[in-house]
This record gives sequence, C-alpha cells and structure tokens, in this order.
Amino acid sequence: MVDASRSTADEQLSELSLTEEEKLVLAKVADILRKIQFGTVVLVVQDGKVVQVEMAEKFRLR
Amino acid sequence: MAETVATLEHPPAGPARPKLAVRDLVVTRRTASGEVITATDRLSFEVAAGEFVCLLGPSGSGKTLLLNVLAGLEVPTSGEALVDGRPITGPAPDRAVLFQEPSLFPWLSVRGNVEVALEFVGVPAPERRDRAQRWLANVHLERWADAQPHELSAGMRQRAALARALAADPDVLLGDEPFGALDAQARELLQQELQRVWAESDSRKTFLFVTHNVREAALLADRVLVMSAAPGRLLEEFRIHAPRPRSLDDVLVGRVVSEIHDLLMREVDASVAREMAR
Repeated sequence: MVDASRSTADEQLSELSLTEEEKLVLAKVADILRKIQFGTVVLVVQDGKVVQVEMAEKFRLR
Repeated sequence: MAETVATLEHPPAGPARPKLAVRDLVVTRRTASGEVITATDRLSFEVAAGEFVCLLGPSGSGKTLLLNVLAGLEVPTSGEALVDGRPITGPAPDRAVLFQEPSLFPWLSVRGNVEVALEFVGVPAPERRDRAQRWLANVHLERWADAQPHELSAGMRQRAALARALAADPDVLLGDEPFGALDAQARELLQQELQRVWAESDSRKTFLFVTHNVREAALLADRVLVMSAAPGRLLEEFRIHAPRPRSLDDVLVGRVVSEIHDLLMREVDASVAREMAR
C-alpha cells in the first residue's frame, strides 16, 4: 500500500470509471464485509454480469 | 442483482421468536455397567420459525438424544427444551419425526399410511384421500399409492415417510439421519426433493435435521451447528446465505463442506487424544 508508484484507492477507482451496475456489486460486497468477521463470499458471474452474491458466515461458539 | 440482495437477508441474524429452543440442556445416560455418561453438556441454541437447521457432529455427540428430547420421546436430565416458548412434555402432532428407517405400517398401502397419519390429527375422512394423493404426487409416488411398503425401494419408502410426515401439516419436521440408510443416488434425489418441498410449502416449516453427513448439511441448511465429540457441546455455527436449490458443485457449498470437514477432523483427533490421556 505504501508503494509510491501505485495510485491511491480513489485514483484507481476513478481510472476504472465504474458503471452503475459495477458500483452496485461493490456496494453489496462492502456491505457484506462490514457485517461478517469470518466467512466466505462468492460472486456468481454469468455472461459478464454478477447474477448472484452468496455468502457463508462462521461463528465460534465454544 | 435485485433478487440476490433479498436472499442475503434470509435467514435473520437472530431468531426473534424461536420456534424451538434448547437451554442449558444436559442429558445423561447410565451404561449397563452403571457408569453415568454425559451425552450433551449444557447445550443451548434456538431455531427460528421457518428456518432449516442441521445439527452435525461425530457419533456419540448426543445428536439423536437431543432430537428425541425435542420430539418429546426423551426427558432431559436438566435444562429445558421448548416449542413456541412452552416446555416439551411429550410427542405432539406439531412436531413430525423422520427416522433413518421409514417406519411405515407394513399392512397398509402407501396411501393408507398417509391417510392414517391424517386420521390421527383429526382430518375428516372425505378430505384425507385428497390430501394423501396430493402429498404422494408431491414426492412423485402417485403411481405407487396402492402398493404395499415392501414393494417399494428404500428411497421410495423414505419418500412415502416424508409425504406422511408433511401431509399432517406439522409446524416442525425433525429428522434423525433420514437419508442415512439410502444409497448415494436415492439420497441425492431425496435431498433435491426435500429442498423443493421446503421452498414450495406455503407457510415455511421449521426443519431440524441431525446428520453426520457434512455435504448434506451444507446443501440443505440455512444454519449448520457443529457439535463436539461427547459430551456434546456446540463448536461452531455456519450461516449459509445461498439460494435454493443448491448443488454439491456450488462453490460456496464446497467451501463450507471443506471448512466443516477440517473442523470435525480436528475435533475427532482431539477427542482421541483425550481418550488416550485418560
């Protein structure tokens, strides 16, 4: 992350010029990441589009 | 994207009004030699209405005993087991049980078996035949309605038992390794049927299955509770947010299976080590 040759996260995002659809996917993923501590997130892609976001969350009980 | 967002909201994070609840449950058993064995040790968990939960654990972790307590067939040593907030005092038609061996009456036809279950819960005679026929069609046994149980394959017998259990419209279906005695193909078929039946039922029923089949649990459940070796305690919980029907080839299912598998292997190793140290 301290690599000077790399641009900041904001710059990388603006270079990508995301579509509305891509922003929605990223928002959904960010939302999940804020909610879970341990687990797995799977993006299912069909024909270049994310058609499904699945996740499994893990909790220690002992 | 729109519909998948919805699937992620289900199941709810914590059951608001649990259908089933187990609080500090201890079940002990006395062996033939008089030794007292603790099968489950201060076990607590809840199952929300409409949720599909699988309880997974090595043999001897008290899974079957726990299920029998919830079915009202066994009395806990201490702690409590509740349905709709009321203590469970015995078997009742609001909780159907699917055993490993489909306990069909051998002298009745397949339809007769379903109809007699309806008779037990007070469904009037004219309605019984229709309802039995509908449920037999639901599990693709309509052509076998007049057959005797012994004429059916093991998988078909278990499908008949499933139709019988659900025809009486219980709130809760408890399963004790219901597909354990089936061959791999019949098992897979029934897992698919069950996913469909559960998803299609108008009012979602509450399912609690105990199994030691990791793949089955990850395929079917909203939540998988993993138990330790005896005395049974809860180790980890997996909440699976993926639409149904699921397949064993799904990436998420495969990932959950391997995590649970690793956890169980560690648990079995640890319990062997504990035994050796005794």
